[in-house]
Amino acid sequence: MIKIEGLHKSFGELEVLKGIDYEINEKEIICVIGPSGSGKSTFLRCINMLEEITAGSVFIDGVKVNDPKTNINDIRKDVGMVFQQFNLFPHMKVLDNITVSPRKVKNMDAKEAEILARQLLEKVGLADKANAYPEQLSGGQMQRVAIARALAMKPRVMLFDEPTSALDPEMVKEVLDVMKQLAYEGMTMVVVTHEMGFAREMCDRVLFMDQGLLMEEGTPAQIFNHPNHERTKAFLSKVL
Amino acid sequence: MDFPNIRFDMIWEYKELFLHGLWVTLSLTALGYLGGIILGLILGMGKLSKRKWIFYPCKYYVDFFRGTPLLVQILLIHTALIPTIFGHSLGYFVSGVTALMLNCGAYNAEIIRAGIQSIEKGQMEAARSLGMPHSLAMKTIILPQAFRRMVPPLGNELIALLKDSSLVTVIAANDLLYAGKVVSGAYFRFWEPYITVAILYLLLTFICTKIIAYVENRFSNSYVPSSRRKIFSFGRSA
Repeated sequence: MIKIEGLHKSFGELEVLKGIDYEINEKEIICVIGPSGSGKSTFLRCINMLEEITAGSVFIDGVKVNDPKTNINDIRKDVGMVFQQFNLFPHMKVLDNITVSPRKVKNMDAKEAEILARQLLEKVGLADKANAYPEQLSGGQMQRVAIARALAMKPRVMLFDEPTSALDPEMVKEVLDVMKQLAYEGMTMVVVTHEMGFAREMCDRVLFMDQGLLMEEGTPAQIFNHPNHERTKAFLSKVL
Repeated sequence: MDFPNIRFDMIWEYKELFLHGLWVTLSLTALGYLGGIILGLILGMGKLSKRKWIFYPCKYYVDFFRGTPLLVQILLIHTALIPTIFGHSLGYFVSGVTALMLNCGAYNAEIIRAGIQSIEKGQMEAARSLGMPHSLAMKTIILPQAFRRMVPPLGNELIALLKDSSLVTVIAANDLLYAGKVVSGAYFRFWEPYITVAILYLLLTFICTKIIAYVENRFSNSYVPSSRRKIFSFGRSA
């Protein structure tokens, strides 16, 4: 479903991604792990072109994302994204945060969008917060609203960029629970995370990245129990 | 010192001239400011553009109008620009509004640019990741937030423009200052007319300050309407 070929990304002189090839299938849950600065967030952000791709290509359902002829907004409708810092729109109520893009981008009827938004809030356990503003919510609640907001576009893939890294420890679980629920429903997910428990339990494949390269990939059992690469072993010995 | 024998009765005699001046000053300021906001929005966005052919004209425009005196701009527009384009003068009012608008636009452009840039990058990224085109994200997500941060400096700009509008007196616009000049010329007395003018300007800026304070207050810190503001509700809700 997502095919990444020879992906390079440089910020000026600094080469962050040094050629990555990978293929993600439908309904797969992929976790990307690795030390800070290894390029895992950049890798994720290249998939929906939040970062311009320096060289190589990304295909989603056979459509080349970084082709000048591709309308990137059409691609992004199918690719939901959840950020480390939530990035909720602070000037809108929770309900409007969720309905704004279905209404403005997909021209969905306001009533229909509201029904959808309330269903999604129900799903993430925040039905009673529809009329709250983001600043009235806790971090965990904000992140769950952010997930609902992304789901409102009915994406086929969800990208999670360290979704629990900015949360207080006691709020991590409520966000992970929502993600697990999504996984059970068959959503294709790419998750950049430091939550090794989640990676081990939920993922189909684990990608270990270091210094802009995809060092090793495999099932959680392979990566966590029998890592091949020295760097993977060194990293895991520090985080587990 | 021989303190002048103040005669405010002569001001009263000319009250219609002063009232008219007040009206002209207000309309010049209001129209100039309104045009300046629209122009500033266009120029401010232009200065954020990555396209060089948009960025540079906007930058040079702002540099020119911020880098030259308003008085020179007024004379240039009234005596050179407008007669050249239309073949004849369109009157002091058109020239005055044009000059104030073009000048105010340059200052507002910087305020608006800075306001937009002050919004966290993540807001635009989140909007774009939801499939919004850049212009839609700007309109529905960035500008409403940026506007709040622009209110105080835009308010300053309004007060500055109100006072600077007195410069149009040089092209014989019968604004508030002009009324003072006429009266002082007629009586050869200077205290009464100019004190009156000063007080009237003070009155106008005072009213503006009140309006700005009201707007600032309405759009202060929190987005939550104050009656329903509950500072954080922690923990998981049912």
